[in-house]
Amino acid sequence: MSTQLPVTNPPLVCWNCHERTIGTHFCPGCGKLLQLPLGSDYFAMFELPRKLWIEMGALEQKFLQLSWKLHPDNFVSATEQEREISLKRSSELNDAYRTLRDPIARVEYLLAIEGTRKNGENKQQAPPELLEEVFELNESLDELREAKAEGSDTASLRQRLEAAEKNFGEKLKDVDGALQSKAREWDGAIDAGAEVPDRGKIMAQLNDLLNRRSYIRNLVVNVQKELL
Amino acid sequence: MAYSEKVVDHYNNPRNVGSLSKEDPNVGTGLVGAPECGDVMKLQMRINPETQVIEEAKFKTFGCGSAIASSSLATEWVKGKTVEEALAIKNTDIVRELSLPPVKIHCSVLAEDAIKAAIGNWKKKHGVEVPEHEKASH
Repeated sequence: MSTQLPVTNPPLVCWNCHERTIGTHFCPGCGKLLQLPLGSDYFAMFELPRKLWIEMGALEQKFLQLSWKLHPDNFVSATEQEREISLKRSSELNDAYRTLRDPIARVEYLLAIEGTRKNGENKQQAPPELLEEVFELNESLDELREAKAEGSDTASLRQRLEAAEKNFGEKLKDVDGALQSKAREWDGAIDAGAEVPDRGKIMAQLNDLLNRRSYIRNLVVNVQKELL
Repeated sequence: MAYSEKVVDHYNNPRNVGSLSKEDPNVGTGLVGAPECGDVMKLQMRINPETQVIEEAKFKTFGCGSAIASSSLATEWVKGKTVEEALAIKNTDIVRELSLPPVKIHCSVLAEDAIKAAIGNWKKKHGVEVPEHEKASH
């Protein structure tokens, strides 16, 4: 996922006819396939506002439409430059679709382009109240692995882990619910034309929720794997 | 990406794995985690209240090889050091020693945080104020 996006949008000039253009995909002047304008993001690629609720059917339709238009097959007899642009844009389109289609990846991407989560700067806070539980559960998992390896009785360990799985399953549901309502809050703020500080506040809260979710999710997956 | 020899060594022969009693007034416990990879690291040290020397250090880490190596190395380094000396250990020292690649730098950050958290916990038990810059900041 590319997150190095400039903040300002420079005016787009068609590489072919050198006219200023407002097109996102093809130059209205000469009809050539355009490079993706600097500063554009996955939402812009689909001509969507930076909102978290996306209608899946419409997204898929737009994706199919665009992949057909940008597809390298359409440019086999075009210049090398056009062939390259088509290839690049098709792969960007695929990345964009994959990201926006997944509700969690979508939030992560939005956090990145809004500047809340910086790639390579891994200074994410772990939710402290979760750590203790996470650690203990990991210990139980270790014990179960050992007991399995030694062929000893695992019944009580399994019972404990099954209870934990249920407990963390509930926590996952809670955090998903919280994420959804926070996403609605974000969309509302965008509709209301919220300024940077307010946007940042909601983004920070979404970031915390995602951190919490990734912890819980990892655990649930690990527990399920061991209980199989 | 291959792990460096030192990481592999610490991973295969982790030093000072285990735990100390949380209830012991001379034991400081640091529990930290990195949500992006789900790692969780517990570092404990027994500190002599007279000399402020870290006499024993133990860790238990659930995570990748680099996280295990970083915490294993941290316990080796803090042993025999005073609290002040241990607080001077920087994550970049760990990165250098283990030749960690950029994507694994957060593992060393976690280890530095764990040292600070453990010492902070010990200081709290002894009624010492923990200055802001010594808190696990990452």
